[in-house]
Amino acid sequence: MMVLVIGGSGSGKSAYAEKLSDELMGVWKYYLATMHIFDDESRRKVERHQSARDGEGFFTVEQPTDIHRALEKMGTRRDIILLECISNLTANEMFSEREKKAENKVVETVVSGVETLREAATNLIVVSNNLFEDGVVYDETTMAYMRAMGRINRRLAMLADRVVEVVAGIPIDLKYIISCEMQCG
Amino acid sequence: MRLVIGGRAQGKLDYVLSRWNLQKDLVWEGIPAKGDLPHLIERRTPLIVNHFHLWVRRRIEEGRSPEEEMAAFLDFCEDCIIICDEVGNGIVPIEPFEREYRERVGRLMIWLADRAEEVERVICGIGQKIK
Repeated sequence: MMVLVIGGSGSGKSAYAEKLSDELMGVWKYYLATMHIFDDESRRKVERHQSARDGEGFFTVEQPTDIHRALEKMGTRRDIILLECISNLTANEMFSEREKKAENKVVETVVSGVETLREAATNLIVVSNNLFEDGVVYDETTMAYMRAMGRINRRLAMLADRVVEVVAGIPIDLKYIISCEMQCG
Repeated sequence: MRLVIGGRAQGKLDYVLSRWNLQKDLVWEGIPAKGDLPHLIERRTPLIVNHFHLWVRRRIEEGRSPEEEMAAFLDFCEDCIIICDEVGNGIVPIEPFEREYRERVGRLMIWLADRAEEVERVICGIGQKIK
């Protein structure tokens, strides 16, 4: 099963995704972190998320780009993979090389990476960001990033069995398919 | 306490006034000052706190703690309706202050939503009960 969790900054989407992974009750749980640590603020953010996961039995795997390669760092049994988050991953794919990577290429890389993880895990939870509603017209580079993110979110929503939007910590189901895996446990 | 959230200019205040049949004179911009509270509570009608996000922003700018002030306010005045813009659904800003503002409004919303007896989200003037 694949669940896409989406929300704005400070919406509580991470906490909800972690709660969801508890409810799925896997033994082999992997937390796939995509954030590049480049300053104190991102370090604090990573530490806050890490301490929230302490004792939850997650193995943390860091993979800022080419997420399918994270599988090489995992065991063969993968009950749950929690991927956080698509906005960092997309930014890393687009901007980490000297030349900005083309929008189409970024979309394909991210989506196919998620597809690979989906096939490789019993349950995949993907966290993404709603960053489309501030009405600001940004420079072309940022607009290209937003277009790529929008297309990725739409593709991931199609792949997902369940799509949940988190608003003020409250989960709202946008798509829910009762699949066989869920019915059979 | 009730919480009403939604994007800018979605008709949140009008929705609140008609949904609970309330008058405009109950509307406060942000959290009322301590001195006004006893007088306001005597009215026995729910107090409407409009533009909560702007009040939070002012408090952060002043280096004060909107979280503590809000907790104290609710202990005193549980019968209220908090109206707040959704501010987190955008590109993460470059300026640290803007990031902190969004993050703290978001965390306060989670805390208020958890405590609220009802949470509504307003889009195009239409309320959607999410709790």
